Amino acid sequence: MNPRKPYVRPISKTSWFMTQGRYKVYMLHEISSLFVAIYTAILIIGLVRLGEGEAAWQGWLDAVTSPIGVIFHLIAFVFALIHTTSWFKAVPQAMRIQRGEEIVPGKLIVGAHYGVLAAVSLFVLILAGVA
Amino acid sequence: MSERTIELEVLRYRPEQDQEPFFQTYKVPCEEEWVVLDALNYVKEEMDRTLSYRWSCHMFVCGSCGMMIDGEPKLACKAFLKDYPTGKIRVEPLSNFPIERDLVVVLDDFVEKLESVKPYIIPKEERTVEQGEYLQTPAQLKAFKQYTLCINCLCCYAVCPQYGLDESFVGPAALALAHRYNMDSRDLGRAARDDVVAAAEGIWHCSFVGACSQVCPKDVDPAGAIQQAKFAHGIDYLTSFLPGGKR
Amino acid sequence: MQVIEADVIIVGAGGAGLRTAIAVAEADPKLSIALLSKVYPMRSHTCAAEGGAAGVIKSNDNLEYHFHDTVSGGDWLTDQDAVDLFVNEIPKELLRMEHWGCPWSRETSGNVAVRPFGGMKIMRTWFAADKTGFHMLHTLFQTSIKYPSVKRFDEYYTVDLLTDDGACYGCTAIEMRTGQMRQFRGKAIVICSGGAGKIFPFTTNGAVKTGDGMAMAYRAGVPLKDMEFVQYHPTGLPGSGILLTEACRGEGGYLVNKDGYRYLQDYGLGPETPTPVLKAMELGPRDQLSQAFWHEQKKGRTIPTKWGDVVHLDLRHLGEKKIDERLPLIRELSAKYVDSDPVTTLVPVRPVVHYMMGGIHTDIHAATPLKGLYAAGECACVSINGANRLGSNSLGELLVFGARAGRGAAEYVKKGVRAPGERLDALAADSEARVKAWFQRTQASDRVPALKKRLTTAMEDGCGIYRDEATIKAACDIIVDVRERFKNVALEDKSSVYNTDLYQTLEMDAMIEVAQAVAVSALQRRESRGAHQRLDHVKRDDEAFLKHSMAHYNPNGEPRIDYLDVVITKSKPAERVYGARAGGQSAA
Repeated sequence: MNPRKPYVRPISKTSWFMTQGRYKVYMLHEISSLFVAIYTAILIIGLVRLGEGEAAWQGWLDAVTSPIGVIFHLIAFVFALIHTTSWFKAVPQAMRIQRGEEIVPGKLIVGAHYGVLAAVSLFVLILAGVA
Repeated sequence: MSERTIELEVLRYRPEQDQEPFFQTYKVPCEEEWVVLDALNYVKEEMDRTLSYRWSCHMFVCGSCGMMIDGEPKLACKAFLKDYPTGKIRVEPLSNFPIERDLVVVLDDFVEKLESVKPYIIPKEERTVEQGEYLQTPAQLKAFKQYTLCINCLCCYAVCPQYGLDESFVGPAALALAHRYNMDSRDLGRAARDDVVAAAEGIWHCSFVGACSQVCPKDVDPAGAIQQAKFAHGIDYLTSFLPGGKR
Repeated sequence: MQVIEADVIIVGAGGAGLRTAIAVAEADPKLSIALLSKVYPMRSHTCAAEGGAAGVIKSNDNLEYHFHDTVSGGDWLTDQDAVDLFVNEIPKELLRMEHWGCPWSRETSGNVAVRPFGGMKIMRTWFAADKTGFHMLHTLFQTSIKYPSVKRFDEYYTVDLLTDDGACYGCTAIEMRTGQMRQFRGKAIVICSGGAGKIFPFTTNGAVKTGDGMAMAYRAGVPLKDMEFVQYHPTGLPGSGILLTEACRGEGGYLVNKDGYRYLQDYGLGPETPTPVLKAMELGPRDQLSQAFWHEQKKGRTIPTKWGDVVHLDLRHLGEKKIDERLPLIRELSAKYVDSDPVTTLVPVRPVVHYMMGGIHTDIHAATPLKGLYAAGECACVSINGANRLGSNSLGELLVFGARAGRGAAEYVKKGVRAPGERLDALAADSEARVKAWFQRTQASDRVPALKKRLTTAMEDGCGIYRDEATIKAACDIIVDVRERFKNVALEDKSSVYNTDLYQTLEMDAMIEVAQAVAVSALQRRESRGAHQRLDHVKRDDEAFLKHSMAHYNPNGEPRIDYLDVVITKSKPAERVYGARAGGQSAA
């Protein structure tokens, strides 16, 4: 007779991510992409409206500058920051660069990403005439 | 002698008499320098002969004593009591594995997965002993060395939510091992390994939570290995559209 | 009892066992192989070997040098025919490991790199940073997966050998997860179960190294050879006994006493030089370095700590880069366990039991006197190590003699083996009854952990770095007493599933037998040679003791010891020469 009786501990399919801090961070990163996606969709709608004429464009502008629009964009901005920083942090793992016998330090790769982000942002701001 | 008493809460499960696991607390007189494994050994020798757990080397290389210590998967020989100032430590068997008994978990699934990724050199060119060694520069060695350091302690599986939710996932250690051979300059076995590695249960099942790399006691970075493998497959896929590309 | 059949049964899946399995599979893929181990293969203690494996590969080296280093390192107790073939076969074995993917450290050219090691005249130790054994074990384990004929029985505890009419036909083993005993029947059996450092309280050895296989063969009538030769490694961490590889000194580390003085120069190993010179100072042989510590301790020049006296290992001058590249594990272990980062701090160390030179008596084909039974690795004694093993010869030994055992076993099976008689089932039943008796006993006056403590303390007191008649005799008497008391111990855990109380009790059973073989062999060797130093017989006595001790099992008392001539082919016994007179080159 086999006396074995391995015990399987149950895992909740719906709330597993609440069990550890690192899972919550992961879920925050995943959720942030939702806001980035919605923001992108709104932006694309704006472009379509622009093509439809001035009235359509103005309607879109009014919508995004309404209090709800501004609040949404502020929230989306925070999530975009979360999304960006969490991705940048993970980049050295996915992008391992070896030069001779040395692995390029992760800090350098992350730094380069922030550098490019800053440069592109500055370029866009100049283009928009803000800076 | 500097001694202090800690409360060791151990998840017990004796399949022949228990319906489900329960916590048993031992008050263990400990030396300041001890690790959790020393405290368990004290329990085993002086307090309770019925407690079962795996251990051997006591020096971070055999990989036997992976267990949950205050909820984190760790090597019991690398978890120093001085890092647990409250004096209360909770010890459980590795998460995501069935419990055989007490702190001993069933490893069959992992061993099958390790075997499934063909973790051996599939040589680029056959070489006889008389021909001497394959030349491999320190840089070529460096490309895969980190992924050879895995001690199969299974801490990574215990913290991987994907494996916890769906055990068909090949998992961090086995995929990192496949990557280790794929990256070895002596090897040409990537295509042979892809049946398992590039399947849906392989690298694509990983959603890059990254927890495996955070808990790895040997800094193997299995999450990195898996993302690099995905990247390589992505490049392969894209280049297959180029003239002369293999589709 | 369920019977499992295989052509070749291998007990132990560490380096030697895995190498044996691969050798059998390559010799004839049709032979079925059962590979048993009480732990998963990667848990085996081969994983803890750090420094490297010696093998002649560079153009400035030759096989003769390796031969002479090994023979004189073993104080001429080595069998020279065995050493000859060992030094000849090891480079090929190491190359095979390279072809199987072992991540050897490399030179810029891409060739394998070598490092200096104690007692070696030329740099010839192949290494994979300071985790050589770990990488070899994982390479062998992973490579073994390639061979479908290798069927593993992980976490099976082997209990007894089954013999009939002067031949070995199998063993009994308990499946640890069910607690059920199985009878393994085969045509050839290979024991690769490792050493027995756990018979001492302070050892580098892992929990698994309890001499199970040695005791098994011993009980089956195979003599244990040269058991009195127990190697103390000069640099273990106080408290835990964790090994700090000899490569620390190979890379240029110093050993200093409480005055910061490199004391080895006072023991015939000098003069001191800032960079390492082969066969001198810190690159002397392990037996002499551990003995030098003992003398320093007597002179009061060691440093007292709560874990016993220590000296210091100084690696600071090597610099962070070299330490991280060559000795990363050492850095991690020292920092974590004794709070000393070798980059900036002296690391406390003391001699610690590390390796058994002795073991199951085998010939150069790894065959024991019992037909069908082979042994390889630390559990065996061929002997290439004699009275003192040189560092980095044991990883080579498990490859060379593991492969030889595998090929020998395959050949033996293919020649045709007579079927065993009825007796086997009865023997298996006896084995099961022996285990059951522990379950049935209810009242015990002694507990296993207490008896173990008594046994190991006796071994340290009586069979340490220096011994004499009185201390060894005292140890022998305690062992007799422990053995008697052990007969009445009872299991406190009566369950079937993964009952570690049972396995620790079976291990204790083996440890008592092995310890007794060590102590009685030591008592009767009235000379000093290599790792066996007698304060009452301080000279080597080739006249009377240039012989292997052979301990024969006696179920009713202490073993009978007789002697076997040492095989000497081309190196006549002479004085061992280290230090300036050895003429070693700089290893900087």
